[in-house]
Amino acid sequence: MRAHAVGRGSILLDMDGLAPHTRTPDEGFLHDLDSLFTDAAGGQGDAAMLQRVLDASMRAVAGTRGFLALVDRETGDMEVGPISGPDWTDEKRLLRLSLAHEAKRGITGNVAVTGEPHLTGDAPSDPLYIPYFADVRSEIAVPIMGTSGHSWGVINIESERADAFGRGDLARLRVLAHAAATALRVQGFRSRESALVEIGNDLTTTFNTDDLMRRVVSVAADVLRFEDCSVFLIDEITRRLVLRASQGALAGEVGQADYAVGEGLTGWVAQTGEALRVCEPYRDARWRGRHTEFPDHEIAALLAVPIVSRGGILGVIRVLRRKGRRAWVSNDFSEAEQRVLSTIASQVGAAVENARSHQRLMQSERMAAWGELSARSAHMIGNRTFALKGDLNEGGYLVGQMPPGPLREEMGGLFRSMSRGVTRLEEILREFRDFVMATQLTRAQVDVRELLLETLEESWPKRSGVTLTTDIPEGLPAIACDAPKLKRAISELLENAVSFQPSGGSVTVAARRVAHDETQERRLPPGRDYVQIEVADSGPGVPAEAKERIFQPFYTSRAKGMGLGLSIVKGIVESHEGLIREAGTSGAGARFLLFLPASDR
Amino acid sequence: MARVLLVDDEDEVRAALKRRLDREGYEVTTAGSADEARQALHGNATYDIVVTDMSMEDSDSGLRVLEQALTCDIFTEVIVLTAYGNVANAVESMRRGAFDYLEKNVPGVDAYEVLTIKMAQAMERRRTAVNTVRRLEHQVRTLSHAD
Repeated sequence: MRAHAVGRGSILLDMDGLAPHTRTPDEGFLHDLDSLFTDAAGGQGDAAMLQRVLDASMRAVAGTRGFLALVDRETGDMEVGPISGPDWTDEKRLLRLSLAHEAKRGITGNVAVTGEPHLTGDAPSDPLYIPYFADVRSEIAVPIMGTSGHSWGVINIESERADAFGRGDLARLRVLAHAAATALRVQGFRSRESALVEIGNDLTTTFNTDDLMRRVVSVAADVLRFEDCSVFLIDEITRRLVLRASQGALAGEVGQADYAVGEGLTGWVAQTGEALRVCEPYRDARWRGRHTEFPDHEIAALLAVPIVSRGGILGVIRVLRRKGRRAWVSNDFSEAEQRVLSTIASQVGAAVENARSHQRLMQSERMAAWGELSARSAHMIGNRTFALKGDLNEGGYLVGQMPPGPLREEMGGLFRSMSRGVTRLEEILREFRDFVMATQLTRAQVDVRELLLETLEESWPKRSGVTLTTDIPEGLPAIACDAPKLKRAISELLENAVSFQPSGGSVTVAARRVAHDETQERRLPPGRDYVQIEVADSGPGVPAEAKERIFQPFYTSRAKGMGLGLSIVKGIVESHEGLIREAGTSGAGARFLLFLPASDR
Repeated sequence: MARVLLVDDEDEVRAALKRRLDREGYEVTTAGSADEARQALHGNATYDIVVTDMSMEDSDSGLRVLEQALTCDIFTEVIVLTAYGNVANAVESMRRGAFDYLEKNVPGVDAYEVLTIKMAQAMERRRTAVNTVRRLEHQVRTLSHAD
């Protein structure tokens, strides 16, 4: 005798010991039911399991022929699954029942759509009946009901006898349909579980965030039924929701499609951190629908959950479902689906955080190594240069002690040239050290006006054909900055402005407070004010195609230095969480705008 | 003749500095590390000026030399040589009583020339300080005799 769970009826236990032929029909039915439920609960929901349900149904009502049809949740059509009885052909077995047209869906389709069982003892005169087999007189069909109140399928049994089925048969089939529903549901859980485990495994081994998002979207597609699954992550710098992965049409917009936090339904989820499940989302007042894969009015339902980590909200996973032909199938997302998506989202949150901290670690290790290497080499080169300079000085001194003559002249020229070489070396060294140290800040609250005036005092050439105009009002907000470095950045800009106007011109230095919008810089974090520092000149200006390139290291249009000047300025400004851009018109002078976050807001 | 202790861990730098200071007429003793400098300072000789590199074994070795020099003789003038960008350490050395600091690699600036000028100034300050103390000592003696 097989072991059973505690609490199972003793009659069923005893039945196991009986030979099948000694069972009464009721005992046989109960035995079928017992083993079906046991196995369904154990997770068996495959085709063989459904075949067993059909076979048990045939026995329970003594039918001639039968089949079990399942709703294809993607198309909304029904297709025949397991079959039983004579006269089946491949053509009949592969028949798909379209449920869209009431007249053509027949008894089975009608049961699926209405969720009501159907019983007829005189099929040929039943208005719903569509004859597939010649000998059918009675037909009984019951729905397999899903959790959302919509049917997943139908068990259909026929008989060649008239009035073959009664109310008791209906009751038996309904119980068996329950067994089938249980099997399907448990299997659904199983496949979700394994999909989640699969995502979980991916997440712990992938450090590339974009790869990760692609995997998530494809695995989520196996679990949930949807047309459009998109993952949006909040950009760490711009604070906007940017599309990181998508299924289908939006895939081409990855990295570009974006929402402001708070904008649209997707932005609402990112702002509030709450999940959202709505039908016909385009009717929602918050709807923007800027990035979807199909027209607004075709969207039946939207499900969006936040991706949350310890540090806060990282992004949103959004799933859309299309309306359409299968209007009778539930298009709403269920609570269970929301739970699954939330589980995926929390795994993604942990993984994104993991990947980001890994990246930060790599980056800071690289930076530390680079910083160490540069500091050491600069130190060593500096010392050797210093010694060389001393030797040259002494050499030059000794040459000065020589008796006058062409040899002394020649050697003197040689030593002066070598000294110039050393000076040049020291210039390069200084530029190199500035470049390396641009991002190593020691910050304090600084009055911008004072800083600018001091910079002009220290760096503006005493004799120059260039006129200086300033517009630096009092009452500018303070900024948290490394004053010597910021001065260095501004004096570099001043020096550039002057050196590009050898035959005179003008330079304007201005500063003012600007709101985030006025900066016209989406790369700057919103929600605070900035101090805009402007250094403009009347020189040749910067060609449009070079506006970005001038900030790259080693870009130079002058013979002096290494060409690190503007990249040092950029490094200094950006390490202050600010930005610099060249906003002038080529031919009408260069105009550099620096934006630095104001401390007060 | 003014006595100078020159501290730098680089042979070439020591040689170049010593050559120049010799020419200026200083009596130069050299040390190749903060440790050697400590031994020299605790020896029999006294020094009017100590010229020390800031960054030797570590980035603030010069501060230790400065401290030892002032411990041995409060009137010793210390000049610290620094690399460009090491302003924080330079300011710290001033706070702890250095006479001045000097950046080694300023483009177009003859650091050797600047150093000799600063050393002359340092000698002047030392002379003034020592004279003041002598005068005060003399006055104290005179007063105590008058008792």
